[in-house]
Amino acid sequence: MKRLKQFTKWMKGFLRLYFMAVVILIALQYFRTLTPLFVQHIIDAVLSDQPSALPGFIQDIVAADSIQRQLLLVAIFSVAFTLLRVILFFGHRFLLAHFAENTAYRLRNALYQRLQDLSFTYHSRAETGDLIQRTTTDVETYRVFIGDQLIEVLRMIFLITFAVIQMSRMESTLTIISMAVAPIIFFSAFIYFTFVKRVFKRVEEAEGTMTTTLQENVTGIRVVKAFANETFEIDKFDNTSKTFRDENQRLINLMAYYWSLSDFLIFIQFCLTASFGIYFTVQGRMGPGEYIAFLAYVGMIVWPLRQMGRIIGDFGKTTVALDRIDEIINQQSEHEDDAQDTPPITGHIEFDKVTFQFDDDDKPLLKNVSFTIDRGETVAIVGKTGSGKSTLINLLIRLLENQEGRILFDGQDIKTINKRHLRKHVGIILQEPFLYSKTVYENIGIMNKRADKDKVFNAASIARVHEDIINFEAGYETMVGERGVTLSGGQKQRVAIARMLLDDKPVLVFDDSLSAVDTETDIQIRRALNSYWKNTTVILITHRIITAKEADKIIVLDEGEIIEYGTHASLLEQNGMYAELWDIQSSLLRSTVAPEKEVG
Amino acid sequence: MAYFEEESYTDIKFNWQTWKQIFAYLKPLKKYLFIGFFSVLMLAAVDVAYPLINRYAIDRIIGENDLSLLPRFIIMYLIYVIVLASMVFTFIRVAGHIQNQLAYTIRKKAFEKLQALPFSYYDRTPIGWIMARMTSDSRNLSDILSWGLIDLSWGFLMMIGITVAMFVINVKLALITLSVLPVLIYVSIFFRKRILKAYREIRKQNSKITGAFNEGITGAKTTKTLVLEDSNFQDFDRLTSNMRRHSIRAAVFAGLYFPTILFIASIATGLVFYYGGIDVSNTVISIGVLYVFISYVGQFFEPVMQLANILARFQQAQASAERVLSLINQEPDIKDRPEVLAQYGTMTAPKKENWEPLYGDVSFKQVGFKYHKGEQVLKTFSLDIKRGESVALVGHTGAGKSTIVNLICRFYEPTEGEILLDGRPMNDRSIGWLHDKLGYVLQSPHLFSGTIMENIRYGRLDATDEEVIASAKMVEADRFIESFEAGYKTEVGEGGSRLSVGQKQLISFARALLADPKILILDEATSSVDTQTEKSIQHAIETVMAGRTSFVIAHRLSTIVNADRILVLQHGEIIESGNHESLIAAKGHYYKLYTNQFQDLA
Repeated sequence: MKRLKQFTKWMKGFLRLYFMAVVILIALQYFRTLTPLFVQHIIDAVLSDQPSALPGFIQDIVAADSIQRQLLLVAIFSVAFTLLRVILFFGHRFLLAHFAENTAYRLRNALYQRLQDLSFTYHSRAETGDLIQRTTTDVETYRVFIGDQLIEVLRMIFLITFAVIQMSRMESTLTIISMAVAPIIFFSAFIYFTFVKRVFKRVEEAEGTMTTTLQENVTGIRVVKAFANETFEIDKFDNTSKTFRDENQRLINLMAYYWSLSDFLIFIQFCLTASFGIYFTVQGRMGPGEYIAFLAYVGMIVWPLRQMGRIIGDFGKTTVALDRIDEIINQQSEHEDDAQDTPPITGHIEFDKVTFQFDDDDKPLLKNVSFTIDRGETVAIVGKTGSGKSTLINLLIRLLENQEGRILFDGQDIKTINKRHLRKHVGIILQEPFLYSKTVYENIGIMNKRADKDKVFNAASIARVHEDIINFEAGYETMVGERGVTLSGGQKQRVAIARMLLDDKPVLVFDDSLSAVDTETDIQIRRALNSYWKNTTVILITHRIITAKEADKIIVLDEGEIIEYGTHASLLEQNGMYAELWDIQSSLLRSTVAPEKEVG
Repeated sequence: MAYFEEESYTDIKFNWQTWKQIFAYLKPLKKYLFIGFFSVLMLAAVDVAYPLINRYAIDRIIGENDLSLLPRFIIMYLIYVIVLASMVFTFIRVAGHIQNQLAYTIRKKAFEKLQALPFSYYDRTPIGWIMARMTSDSRNLSDILSWGLIDLSWGFLMMIGITVAMFVINVKLALITLSVLPVLIYVSIFFRKRILKAYREIRKQNSKITGAFNEGITGAKTTKTLVLEDSNFQDFDRLTSNMRRHSIRAAVFAGLYFPTILFIASIATGLVFYYGGIDVSNTVISIGVLYVFISYVGQFFEPVMQLANILARFQQAQASAERVLSLINQEPDIKDRPEVLAQYGTMTAPKKENWEPLYGDVSFKQVGFKYHKGEQVLKTFSLDIKRGESVALVGHTGAGKSTIVNLICRFYEPTEGEILLDGRPMNDRSIGWLHDKLGYVLQSPHLFSGTIMENIRYGRLDATDEEVIASAKMVEADRFIESFEAGYKTEVGEGGSRLSVGQKQLISFARALLADPKILILDEATSSVDTQTEKSIQHAIETVMAGRTSFVIAHRLSTIVNADRILVLQHGEIIESGNHESLIAAKGHYYKLYTNQFQDLA
């Protein structure tokens, strides 16, 4: 029952289409089993004087006094009858396509919305490839199942049933003989297609290995060439290519065995029916027309059975796919039960004894962190990788939720502020910013779609990326992201900054967001931004101490705790970790140029 | 570059040249093609004969009430079944063999070409394009030339066989039946083309949806921080709505195809009913003959549909063939001269015994260079570097730093002037010889799937484990490697994904060190790593550079300051050259650059 609900929940409102399609389908299968009877009617009733197996009302329509007229009527009727079937079939496909595609459409949209609303924690743990698989391949499996496979099985069941009924109306013993081999045909198909799936998987894996080898070679061609390892690479690729070829051939050989064997079985069934049919006909138990009709009915049983074995072998795939889809759908949205309050946010931030720990971690990532940032202040956060800097930012916009302590915006606990509202007022520029598959222009204007050209260009200029963009072949119309050109890390970071410039935010966070830009440009951009964002509260996360130095306050994080807090000068005096980092970095930078100290 | 879209297949003219070359690849498979053809010939023959066996039963056994002929009927039937099954078996195996072998050959040829092509090719060809040629195109092509070719032969043979059989049996009924054939063929081709197009459109929509999902997932954090959920969903809804529209259209269209064929066939059947029936009633023909004609009408559409399908697909296959061949036939624009190849050997068969050592003197003599269709990057560029000297290249993006490096690696060749190695023109020795003596450490290090050991050994394939470990130790990479449970046997993941950026860099230094190159090229990374790693990398750089001619595209000040010579480049020209002290003293560009970066410091 749960399965049925899981299976039908996407179809609501479209099920009517499906029922109509099934009703037409049943009629169609019945009509199809009538077609051999036209031949039977001509041979047995028209050209000879044996009874016709056609339903009475059709016999009445095609009745006439001369043989020629009878033949003409049967011929015309059979064509008209086919036309009716064609129209019904078309209607059936039309209903079915609407049903399946609308259901798939709804499922895809639901998945997309759910994915967007899933918590940050979920996303940071999920594997992209796996999620993509669920949203595409699994949805397709389900769509094919409801749109094609299920209806195919229904079709075959009705076809076989009607065929058996028609046969038994003519000769019951021969009907039983005509189904003798049928179970073997069905089960051999079922077993084969279940087994062959494993072989298929091996082929896919071999192909995957080959593709990876190729991809790595092509992306790393500089390394290949610089170490002159071309021959080594050719051999490596050749091996994977050979394995793929051989695995595929193994699969095909298996196919050759199966298809020839099942053809053999099918025609043995034909041979059985034919032999007994001839015998019965000669004995006078049935007419020659009925014999011919029987051969047609055997075809309506054996071919579908083979097909059915194959499809039913595939059924398990759909339940697995639906389970995998539900694993996403049944996750809780981060916006469910969220606070509705949307207070004004000016940029005063307070952390009050904030502690955060992942449920399955044994150690908190932030411990008892407290500090205050006044509106318009610039605060730098420094610390090693893993010291908790990013966690702090994620808490700030409720991508993560702190377990203890409070984070206050203008005195209000952010847990009582609507998440979307909060995020709209805090701009974050990530170290590895994500650009959408749109043009550069659209990417910069993504948060302010009405911004005019001048504004976009101006933002790009401030972020020092305008020159880069106009040097692209297509300028601002250049496509970026997935299907477009690959921007360098520094270009992406600068586009992300330009994007932020088109929106007024009281709080801005730079999460190491100029790391891929050279020092000189970094300085230029920061200067330009300082004058642009005078009243904005700015939080700078950085590895570059020279960047941190400019801030009003500096927070030094280590293993989740604030170990130092103050201005550049005061921290140098404390002679703690900050001073140490400062020493290492400036010595790294200056290295052997000690005598030049007076230069800087 | 720009947005890369797969070509459309409309209006492709038959191209004989293309097919000639492709058929040449089929030559070694002649035997299999012959067997395949033979098996479909047999199949078509028994398929045409099949209704005749039943005719025998109807006319001779039933018609004459002669049960003594039944055993003969059963034997004929069994022969039919055995021939059918064995020919099905044969043709599947053979078609599969041709398909696999052909795809394999194409991939091999294309891959070898890819290894021989110079770097400029990769600069102007997107990786996605190359991947598509090697995977989907080679698959398409080998499919159509195996299964397609066999289906095609079967279809033709069936049609010819049935036509001949019909005419032999009864000319009048044959003409009546075949009268619907032109309509049948026309309708089939009409539908096939459109169905193929409709499904191609669906595939396109589908890949857009996949792309959107990918973007939604990988960009989840950005979407959340920018609160773009609603606007993203609107974009997505546009895609899925399109998908729904196209899918319904294609499904309905495809759903129309078979019934239409069925309808045309029913007209033929109706004609046979009427004219055949009259002939039977006038005892001109037997019931068996009527049965044979009704059967043949039914058997006729499959080959016609099959042929229409293949013909429609042949267009697509030709497009695939043209693209694959454009890769295979690509002429490398950097090649060794024949006499150089004769002495130094080819890429796949190097004559290492003739290779002399390289000492590392590099000079540029009036070198000019421009990329494929770009502006002049270097003009009359001259430079002399002695063996063992270290050179730091400094300047803005586009100043020509990468170009100089690319020329030294012979990834490109100068458009004017020449480059000398140890006083001899560079192209006097083979590319293989040069690369054997060259080391290259990349800005973003590229690792291959496999273990750390294998990745370091990539620098010199015949190095022993001890040598690999020794070079890892020299760059202090052994510390983090040993900290892994599997040590040097640790799998690095695809593209080194399981390692951090800093770790990847250290491995690439160890790799270069193992190669023990005479000339080292180093493209320094700008990405930020934590202070500890930064220190190790700096140490590694010093270790790797010691005692070799080295060219560094430098970002680290320490590297620049330590270099024997600093070249400050601007618009492809050396505007300043000298060591750190002399350049600072000169108070020129370098001085400005240097102080600009450091005025915040101290």
